Amino acid sequence: MSKIEEVKAKVEAGKSKLVPGLVQEALDEGSAPAEVLQAMVESMGVVGDKFSAGEIFVPEMLIAAKAMSKGVEVLKPLMAGDGSTSLGTCVIGTVAGDLHDIGKNLVSMMIESAGFDMVDLGVDVPADTFVQAIKDNTNVKIVACSGLLTTTMPALKEAVATVKAAFPDIKVIVGGAPVTPEYAAEVGADGYAPDAGSAAVKARELATA
Amino acid sequence: MLTKRQNLMEVIKGGTPDRFVNQYEFMELIMEAPMDLPLAPAPGTRVKNKWGITFDWPADQIGSFPMHDEEHKALKDITDWKNQVKAPSVFYTDEEWAAAEAHAKSVDRNDKFVTAFCAPGIFEMTHHLMSMEDALMALYEEPEAMKELIDYVVEYELAYAAEVIKHIHPDALFHHDDWGSQISSFISPQMFNEFIVPAYKQVYGFWKANGVELIIHHSDSYAANLVPFMIEMGIDIWQGVMTTNNVPELIKKYGEKITFMGDIDSGRVDFPGWTREKIYEDTKKACEECGKLYFIPCLSQGLNISSFPGVYEATSDVIDQLSKEMF
Repeated sequence: MSKIEEVKAKVEAGKSKLVPGLVQEALDEGSAPAEVLQAMVESMGVVGDKFSAGEIFVPEMLIAAKAMSKGVEVLKPLMAGDGSTSLGTCVIGTVAGDLHDIGKNLVSMMIESAGFDMVDLGVDVPADTFVQAIKDNTNVKIVACSGLLTTTMPALKEAVATVKAAFPDIKVIVGGAPVTPEYAAEVGADGYAPDAGSAAVKARELATA
Repeated sequence: MLTKRQNLMEVIKGGTPDRFVNQYEFMELIMEAPMDLPLAPAPGTRVKNKWGITFDWPADQIGSFPMHDEEHKALKDITDWKNQVKAPSVFYTDEEWAAAEAHAKSVDRNDKFVTAFCAPGIFEMTHHLMSMEDALMALYEEPEAMKELIDYVVEYELAYAAEVIKHIHPDALFHHDDWGSQISSFISPQMFNEFIVPAYKQVYGFWKANGVELIIHHSDSYAANLVPFMIEMGIDIWQGVMTTNNVPELIKKYGEKITFMGDIDSGRVDFPGWTREKIYEDTKKACEECGKLYFIPCLSQGLNISSFPGVYEATSDVIDQLSKEMF
């Protein structure tokens, strides 16, 4: 197995203590940083697919994301200023009136692992704050809005409408337990994802379309 | 007409109930029992409980959340849990027990089960202490420390159970522990079997060895993949079972060993603009699909209340109506 293949396997298995050393070894063998990063992104794609399929659960996804982030730490100094490897910036938050953060954090982790720079606004985020975050950050391609309560569905609708009114070209994806594909379409979102793995796939698809 | 208790027993034993068991009607919950307050008590309040966990209930929200920023997280390093986690005392004065004892004594046990209440659960305690992300990762990264912490929580639960049993002699236990999201269990069945099943076998085994006839476990989530373990732990009724579990299928597969209480998702019917028609629609569907045995129609909410006034009572009223229509 080549070092880069080992990196992929260990990211997928969530071996955060081993990944940094293997990333360094892959670099020492002559792999380009961007190539190593891409290998890890692919691993996380596999992790996301397995999560969506119910083959793995939240802990497995968390430790894989942690392993990747340890690997990225090794690559970062070598890739500083190299914007070519990023798919753009994704602004994410749970909408106003809703304090749920676990699902949103998982989605954030998976979208980051797919190659985005993340701006996490946290929970209870007013619609205007999403717009302000787009203004305050460069290269925003995706806004991801989470809503976990039936009572906060109107806030989700308002967030989508506010972002689209201010930035019609920025893609908005929505998700959360009560959200359905039909509801996403009804409120004018560009995409819907039922889980964290699918959210990363959808974000990538929309950003590269 | 059967008493509430007799009717419940007919449902869970596969006998001949004369109506649907109506939500929590068979449990007389002794909520006066002294316990460490697990959650913030009301909107607009924040409390630090005796485990050192801070719960915040913002004024405009429908529940309280444990706080896990660096300032408030009670357990910051699982490998150092022995220094950072201290269980509160389970001993309370006779005066503190008096109201619970009086309540328990007043109950006609032929009609209802005197029911002890325990929350949060063992799994919940781990993530209340250290955050969900930290707790779930620790199951992989520090499994021995996690097992020690879980054992410590079990010791606390057993000690508290002994006190409750001594004072109110419950017939039933209603125990909370959410094990999943709406669409999946938080952890794999294998991991659940390794970390959680042994803990609950001890705890539920202890209650049952000391006179408790019925264990009702609350998890308002998906957890269909964990049902065989629930049976192994000694759970008689899974309360909070959501529609995402395909309850009719679970009843066919496991009904003779465990009863399912729920299939009316609170999230679908309990909101500010609730209507009796919507409650009737969801409840009727549940009753028709799940049938009369091994099933108790109930909101998925983990107590005999609703988030918005009137929903619990309207649901009970609808179930009475459906009993008349279907029995």
